Amino acid sequence: MILPGLRSSKLENRIVVFFVVLLLFVQLAGFFAIRYAIEQSARSNLREDLNVGVRVFKRMLEQNSQQLVEATAVLTYDFGFREAVSSQDRDTILSALGNHRDRIKAAGMALINLQNVVVADTLAVDSTGKQFAFPELIAAAADMRRSSAIRMIDGTVYQIVVVPVLAPLPISWVAMSFVIDDAVASDLKRINSLDVTFIGKTGNSPAEIFATTLSPFMREQIRGFIDNLANQPEMGGTRTLAGEEFEMLSVTIDRYDNKRIFALLQRSMRDGLRPYDSLQVVLLFLAAVGLTISLFGSMRIARRISRPVSALAEAARAVAAGRHVSVSAEAMRQNDEIGELATAFDNMSRGLAERDRMRDLLGKVASPEVAEQLLRQNIELGGEERQVTVMFADIRDFTELCETLSPHDSLMLLNRYLERISGVIDHYEGVIDKYTGDGVMALFGAPIARADDPERAILAALEINRRVRELGQELAREGLPHPLVGIGINTSRVIAGNIGTASRLNYTVLGDGVNLAARFESLTKRYQVPVVVGRETREKVPGLVYRELDKVKVKGKKVAVRIFEPLGREHEIDAVALATLHTYHEAIEAYRQRRWQQAAASLAAIRDQPGYHRVCEIYLEYIRQFESAPPDQTWDGSFALYEK
Amino acid sequence: MFLPLRCASPFFVLLFACSAAQAAKINAQVSTPAGEPVTNAGVYAKLIGASVPTVPIREISIEQINKEFVPLVSIAQAGALMNLPNRDSIRHHVYSFSPAKTFEIKLYSGVPSKPVLLDKPGEVVLGCNIHDNMIAYVLVVDTPYFGKTDVKGRALLEGLPAGEYEVYLWYPGGSMAQPPQKLKLGANDSSDVKFNFASRLLPQRPATPATPPATGK
Repeated sequence: MILPGLRSSKLENRIVVFFVVLLLFVQLAGFFAIRYAIEQSARSNLREDLNVGVRVFKRMLEQNSQQLVEATAVLTYDFGFREAVSSQDRDTILSALGNHRDRIKAAGMALINLQNVVVADTLAVDSTGKQFAFPELIAAAADMRRSSAIRMIDGTVYQIVVVPVLAPLPISWVAMSFVIDDAVASDLKRINSLDVTFIGKTGNSPAEIFATTLSPFMREQIRGFIDNLANQPEMGGTRTLAGEEFEMLSVTIDRYDNKRIFALLQRSMRDGLRPYDSLQVVLLFLAAVGLTISLFGSMRIARRISRPVSALAEAARAVAAGRHVSVSAEAMRQNDEIGELATAFDNMSRGLAERDRMRDLLGKVASPEVAEQLLRQNIELGGEERQVTVMFADIRDFTELCETLSPHDSLMLLNRYLERISGVIDHYEGVIDKYTGDGVMALFGAPIARADDPERAILAALEINRRVRELGQELAREGLPHPLVGIGINTSRVIAGNIGTASRLNYTVLGDGVNLAARFESLTKRYQVPVVVGRETREKVPGLVYRELDKVKVKGKKVAVRIFEPLGREHEIDAVALATLHTYHEAIEAYRQRRWQQAAASLAAIRDQPGYHRVCEIYLEYIRQFESAPPDQTWDGSFALYEK
Repeated sequence: MFLPLRCASPFFVLLFACSAAQAAKINAQVSTPAGEPVTNAGVYAKLIGASVPTVPIREISIEQINKEFVPLVSIAQAGALMNLPNRDSIRHHVYSFSPAKTFEIKLYSGVPSKPVLLDKPGEVVLGCNIHDNMIAYVLVVDTPYFGKTDVKGRALLEGLPAGEYEVYLWYPGGSMAQPPQKLKLGANDSSDVKFNFASRLLPQRPATPATPPATGK
């Protein structure tokens, strides 16, 4: 049920159709129930009407006959008539009878003497001298001074009235015959609204219809069953004739010899139900009004449901597509479950948007994969102690460099560096914890810990170094400054978690190990190496070749830590370099065992090897100092680092 | 058949003459099978095999009083004159369609100038054309010996010469179905005749409440 021009959704249609069909069903059921009740009541009314009609009919026949009797009696009192009767002259009598018959508008009039012999009969002129055909009527008239009966004569039914001719004692009988024809039936119908058919039946011969108010067609219709009817004295019932229902009742109105005359009274059910037609119209009208109201009402309700749902669905599609929309205020204003749903959806959408923003941010600070994983696993970013490899990567002397560049160019330069660095960190699945001005702090092993965290950290550091050198060549070509990067890496147990307030949280790590990594980064400058890693990191990544740089005592720490420079994988290092490294490590060993001369000799031998100049210079300086002022017994071969 | 006689002799003179000459009497008693007396029945005797002595024929008079014929029942010898004096202030139209005497005296008051001659024996039923309830019965007999039963059902027939008689019973409305009773009367005999009224009685004054109760329909 879709009205043209109405925007309708499937749900809306279904709701409307459901309600309309439901109402239609209810109304149809009601309509038919009422119709049934009406019909039943009408039927019983009709039956009652018919019974009353039959009583009326009988009474009418009686009255009719009574009137005819009285009229006939009056007529026979006419003196001239009595004179004519007593004249004994048949022709005179016959003409007088004809005259009086016409006065009363009868069909026939007969004079019968006291011996039941017909004196004259206008209906049967040649019956003079014959016995009167209905002596029982005269007997009844002798008893009652009058009688009346219905008799069949030659295919016609008559009401025959017999009264005496009084002078003042009866001197003869007069039989007045009134034909019962269609006109009489119509007269009767006018009074009791029933169709009347006068039927006669003689013995077993077929019943005859003498008079009726029925149409010729209906007359033929009833002919089929009146024979049966004739065998039952009074019979009623409902019959269907030519598709029309009739309630009928038969009444015996006279019976003599082997003859029976009866009347069939009937009423069309359709006529009986006609008064209820207007009621049906009213019912249909009410049904139509109810249907219309329910149609528009259910459409309105459906729209109230489906519109917000559609809006929500659209919003959901938008959210799925990555856009964040607010559900229409109209939907949320609704003060029902739909409104609740809209509000909840809106909150969800906002939550998703928040999360997306977070993911974006996370994507900026961590590798997208990690961010994805973080989000997917819904990791609780609570505080916990865990082993993390922390990396600090810093552009060396960037602050000084900035003084020679405009702020804009400085920032451009910085970002080019950070972009390279970040890319590599992302590649090795490190998480950028923060940008520290001209550097980057990255985590490997937080928030998600993996076995190869230290290895990835070191490989990332080596890669950063390579990339920064490439960048340096690019920048050199552009005529721009191209500083180097120092990277410090340390693996240690730290506290990881969200730091800050509920509105502004920052996931980071805290602990000595973090500070140590920062120290290592700054040490790259002293040793003029790109990467410095701690002992823990080195032990966790055994597959690489390291150069031990030193054993340093950091400020505030009692224990000295050994620091190393990762050089690369074993197969990447050529034999000469390995030999040099071996010599170097022997020299340092000698130095720690206070064999200054041996150490100095070895260092001097390799000091011109590439990358060894600075470390050799540092150790040779140590040796020079210790030769003049040897360290005390507690010296563990470390160098106390007091500067940052 | 008697010739009609015009006789204006007073009633009592005739009675005297008859009783002086003849002595025989018939005491008739008419009753119903249940023994109840039947009034207004006519009893008349016919002399068989001998000529009836000529006696003056008495006139009869049937008055109309209060829209009734009085008397209701009369018996007259054939040839008698019937006077129909109207004692009411309204007019009457007296008629008879009886075969024994058919006549009509159209609306009149007072005494009609001409009495009606009852020339044939038989029952004459009188009516009034404008008062349907008025009725009178006149039995015209061809014998001078007749009587009408009183309230006890008795009728006395006097002054009968000796001889054989047939005694007839008559009742208004034409009930003459009973066969006559035969009897022989000597001079100065007094004979009792009983009639049981078996046949149906017609109401004497139909539909008039003032009349005595009908003995049947």
